[in-house]
Amino acid sequence: MSPAPLLELRQLVKNYGGIRALRGVDFDLRAGEVHALLGENGAGKSTLIKVVTGAHAPNGGTITLAGQTVSGLTPATARALGIACIYQQPALFPDLTVAENLALRLNAPSPATRMHWSDCRARATRLLARIGAEISPDAEVRSLSMPEQQLVEIACALGSGARIVVMDEPTASLTQKEQHLLFAVVRDLRQNGVGVIYISHRLEEIFALADRVTVLRDGQSVGTHPVAGIDEAGLIRLMVGREVAQIYPAAESAPGAVVLSLNQLGCRSSGVSNVSFDVRAGEILGLGGLVGAGRTELARILFGLTPADSGTITLNGQPLTLRTPQAAVAHGIAYVPEDRRRHGVVLDLPISHNLTMAIHRRLFPTTWLRFGAERALTLDYIRDLAVKCSGPEARGGSLSGGNQQKVSLARWLATKPKLLILDEPTQGVDVGAKSEIHKIVRRLAKEGLAVILISSDLPEVIGLSDRIGVMGGGTLRAILPGGSDPHVVMAAALGTAA
Amino acid sequence: MAALPPAPSTGLGTWKSRLLSHEMLLFYVLIALWLFFYFAGTTVNRRGVTVGFGTLDRQFDILRHSCEIGLLALALTPIIITAGIDLSVGSLLGLCAILFGQLWHDGGLPIPVAAGLTLVIGALAGGLNAVLITALRIPPLIVTLGTYSLFRGLAEALTRGSITYTDFPASFLYLGQERWLGLPTQAWIFFAVAIAIGLLVHRTTFGRAFRTIGFSPEGARYAGIPVARRLALAYVLAGLVAAIAAIIYTARLGQAKADAGTGYELFAITAVVLGGTSIFGGKGSVIGTLLGVAAIAVLKNGLACLPVVMRMNAAEEMSGLLTGALLLFALSAGVVSQLWSGFRQRASAT
Repeated sequence: MSPAPLLELRQLVKNYGGIRALRGVDFDLRAGEVHALLGENGAGKSTLIKVVTGAHAPNGGTITLAGQTVSGLTPATARALGIACIYQQPALFPDLTVAENLALRLNAPSPATRMHWSDCRARATRLLARIGAEISPDAEVRSLSMPEQQLVEIACALGSGARIVVMDEPTASLTQKEQHLLFAVVRDLRQNGVGVIYISHRLEEIFALADRVTVLRDGQSVGTHPVAGIDEAGLIRLMVGREVAQIYPAAESAPGAVVLSLNQLGCRSSGVSNVSFDVRAGEILGLGGLVGAGRTELARILFGLTPADSGTITLNGQPLTLRTPQAAVAHGIAYVPEDRRRHGVVLDLPISHNLTMAIHRRLFPTTWLRFGAERALTLDYIRDLAVKCSGPEARGGSLSGGNQQKVSLARWLATKPKLLILDEPTQGVDVGAKSEIHKIVRRLAKEGLAVILISSDLPEVIGLSDRIGVMGGGTLRAILPGGSDPHVVMAAALGTAA
Repeated sequence: MAALPPAPSTGLGTWKSRLLSHEMLLFYVLIALWLFFYFAGTTVNRRGVTVGFGTLDRQFDILRHSCEIGLLALALTPIIITAGIDLSVGSLLGLCAILFGQLWHDGGLPIPVAAGLTLVIGALAGGLNAVLITALRIPPLIVTLGTYSLFRGLAEALTRGSITYTDFPASFLYLGQERWLGLPTQAWIFFAVAIAIGLLVHRTTFGRAFRTIGFSPEGARYAGIPVARRLALAYVLAGLVAAIAAIIYTARLGQAKADAGTGYELFAITAVVLGGTSIFGGKGSVIGTLLGVAAIAVLKNGLACLPVVMRMNAAEEMSGLLTGALLLFALSAGVVSQLWSGFRQRASAT
């Protein structure tokens, strides 16, 4: 009855180096439907979008547009074929006006033609009116709010006559009223026969807006369902799916005294509010949640990078104010950051320099460098954590991801911390190194360290933690026991009752 | 792709040896330049003109004239290692020279007291740069471009553009015009500062911090290194050393005037970069800076005794031209070697 779908993906495969981001995804989008795409962090949603918009070429499978198989898709051809994408962070030129931005996107670039600015302006006005946005075409994009910029992006997509519109978490930064405006626009698009791929973590939006939903897990589609025929619990089950397959080293001793205690902690500039929990010596507190839940932001507060403006931090019974990383280090707080190439390891410096960076005062009390002591310490940690390298002089940049992570970890272990915060310690790390890191973390806890483990890897958080704090929207949503049912954790992260 | 043997180490060993080779290369160039001028200079001698390049007196003269720019280059080395820059050192030299003259002449202070106060003022002026750069987070290039004009302007204003302080006592001029233990007196100070900054950069945690900040300011922050304080140290130190250079300059010429040290900052930066310190931060050495200073000094003075140049009366112009060419050559040699090693890495990766 229906003609060929607008977009059809068959057995799509995409590898990044050794990592299989997409391993055979099937997906189709019909004209005049909103098709939601759902999945955990790292399930392959962004990769799928990148392939569909031509940013990355797939390693296998077919892409069929309106019945025609296309290959060698580039961003330009994708746009020419009517695919538009609205990212979370609008990619407009902040110093140009709305009309100029639209003209840049929609006019064929040619150096010698004269610009008809009045036409451009009229078109901008028309497009903005069509989506009901009250934005002046002469406004500089810089002066617009994030949601207004998104509306401009949508106007762009409309103006380009896109048949397929991809929206990646479009409501992440919108207020209630703006959300309704956006929903109206999406419904209007659907009315006009446009196919919308809608990505969101908010289940209620999916139920309010989408016609069908496809769930991705570990780079595979695990099912496409009409929204009418599935409920929240069913979706969560699809998202989590697998069992905790890996064996995690278990806790062997009861946690000791409370090391860190947070009370109503918040920081307005980074969107964290009202976080209260305790971490005990010898305990691993996992922090689960989706991207943007506020976990890294919380860690940055505890490490003095973005000081708190409300609430209290108590370490070993003493209230603290942490305004700089130096203060945090002096109090025995260590933070192994998420972005190890930018923050965790200085790639141009040798392992030994990287390792002693945070203990200059202790290792070199007279400020004179002691190369022998530094080398000995570095060799100790290389052996202890089994860092694969050519020696203490090997540059940080010459190591693999897992070994960089070990160096970053070793730097902080060398500070003999009381509290260790690990932010995504196994992201982008191969399986072997991952389980080694798990063992190290458990061993550290056994030795009496209080550990906060931030991880988007659900099995890891559940398997390794003694307790799991689930964050969402910048605050703590729940504290669950270790080994909790993944569905419960995911439900808490999504903010729905499971 | 699966079972590659471990890639050959690209550790500090090769990095260090490359740096070393840059310095060694510069050293060879320096020797070659010197020998060239030595022999070219002798011909002049045979014609009865006493401007031989190879004489010991001539060497000491070169050393004497290199001390001020050399000091500024030493002051700039830690700053450039942090990926910063200080354009104001030459102007600060002028300001400090004037203030020193005023403190002594108008203020009636004894020379050592005036000199001590001048050093404090130099450090404070460096502190002004430091505060603007670290507290207000204005890029060093902009800040020191501002203080470059500010310091020089102050010096001009204080002297109304005309006053020159002279008639310094002979005991003070000994510092700039005589020899002590065989070397020009100020050379001892220059070498002492060189050793001090060399130790600071290569043997202390401060130097480590400079290098780390130069490579990755964010990485340094996440490692708990007090980035602002370390940067401040580098700029305050530069101010202090510029003040030392100002006193030596005054002692050498026997006069303090507002245009002292004009354009010195560019020679100093040239010497630092020629010495292998990366303008992008992280890499660099004090030995390299000393070689850079020496190369520029030999080039400049050597050209002055070439008969051809003498006939054209164009020593300044020629030395500027050749220094520029040498600098561009050194820089492009560095980039080419980087591209080459990057290419080799990529080739071995596939």
